[in-house]
Amino acid sequence: MIRKLKHWLLWATLAIALLVTLTQLLQLYGLAGQNRLIGQLLAGKDVSGDDLATSAPEVRMARAVYLSQHQRYDEALATLNLLLQQSGSVAQAQTRYNLGNLYLRQAMEKAQAGNINEAMPLLGLVKQAYREALTLDSDFWDAKYNLEVAMRLLPEMDRITSGDGQDDLNQKTQLWTTLPGFPRGLP
Amino acid sequence: MQALQRTRICVASAMVVILLSACSGTSNQALRDFQLQTPRPFGYVIGDTIRHRILIQIRSGMALERSSLPGQGRLNRWLQLNEVSVTEQDGSDGKKYQIDFLYQQFYAPLEVKELSIPGFMLRFQQHGQTLEQPVAPWPFTVAPLRELVVRQDQHGEYMRPDQAPTLLDDKEIVQRLLMALTVATGIAVRLAWLYGYLPGLPQRSVFKRAQRKLQNLGLQQLPQALGALHAAFNGLHGKPVFLHKLAEFYQSHPEYRSVAEELAWFFDYSNCYFFGDASTMPQENDLQKIKTLCLHCREIERGSR
Repeated sequence: MIRKLKHWLLWATLAIALLVTLTQLLQLYGLAGQNRLIGQLLAGKDVSGDDLATSAPEVRMARAVYLSQHQRYDEALATLNLLLQQSGSVAQAQTRYNLGNLYLRQAMEKAQAGNINEAMPLLGLVKQAYREALTLDSDFWDAKYNLEVAMRLLPEMDRITSGDGQDDLNQKTQLWTTLPGFPRGLP
Repeated sequence: MQALQRTRICVASAMVVILLSACSGTSNQALRDFQLQTPRPFGYVIGDTIRHRILIQIRSGMALERSSLPGQGRLNRWLQLNEVSVTEQDGSDGKKYQIDFLYQQFYAPLEVKELSIPGFMLRFQQHGQTLEQPVAPWPFTVAPLRELVVRQDQHGEYMRPDQAPTLLDDKEIVQRLLMALTVATGIAVRLAWLYGYLPGLPQRSVFKRAQRKLQNLGLQQLPQALGALHAAFNGLHGKPVFLHKLAEFYQSHPEYRSVAEELAWFFDYSNCYFFGDASTMPQENDLQKIKTLCLHCREIERGSR
């Protein structure tokens, strides 16, 4: 009886092992497909919406990078906003950094076009996104660099105080909390 | 005269103070130890974190007023406090506190600049009495990451590019796949051996070959059928097997005890057929019983019985 049981246990184990092999092969195939999509997007070729429907967050991130590079900012923003929900601090920091880059590009374009008033709120969003990315990962050097770019474009200055605390409290508006400046380099 | 008297009074007062302080000892001091441990005060850039640790030892019965610690969040325009943790330890010589702060600075200087983490006042309570201990501001320098003259590229001002996602890691899947494949291959080889499919290992296929021979034999070929099964038993045992030596056979191959009755019948029938008086005619049923025995032996051989 035990011999018989052992024998059929062998068959059962073989069946399970083959099943696991099959599922892993299928997963590997799916993963290779996702990596192919990432490669395609990073090479500058768009993918169809059907391919993205069930894709991994990494594919969506690659798509956001593609859209941002092709000045399709609204679509890129929508994709990145969806990615903000994902878990994992590394992915979160990366998403916030790319969001900051997206806003920064738009702000620079608007500043170059002379639309300073439209560029300023965007730069506020840029700084917020980079700060959040750096709070999640303080060793994120690209975020540090680009935050400094944004800070140079829109420096932050301390509030001017009169020295009289009561006067400051009564003051309704802040004077020069931010100073727009788009340096073009030294002569 | 008056001056001399005044001097005497002063000396006496000083001695009283010295004596009192000597008698009081250190054990009654409210704050016995205070240390602010800080890292290097230079070489920071935007986004860097700075850890501070305060070690305090106070008299038993006193307690730190947690509200005197700075709260998490933005402390000013460029400084953020990400973490505050307090560890408390009671001991025979008083109470010890370890307070850890994790600051993060977001100042973007144009050149190396000195900044300062603001100081604050720590408060301790005992029976409604409050003791205050100042924590001094901590100066440090920050440096810029970018050159003063703005670098330009084809898109305008130079900025670091987007973070491209890394390719999905397939290491775990490949590991699981290899593990499953190894197990499947091992079991498949084992089963192939049991079923006699492995060349060079014939001992597991003696009854398989016998079964193959018996398959096409009819009642007329009964001697060949008996011979084939005898050959199988002899091949398995390594020497001839007889009815009176079945006990020895079972010692070497105990798994065949489950068909002991059939084996005894077979050897008895074989003896009668080859060495008997030939009065009994072989029946179709006999051949079927021999084939069934061979099938059972085959099942035992491959481990399924």
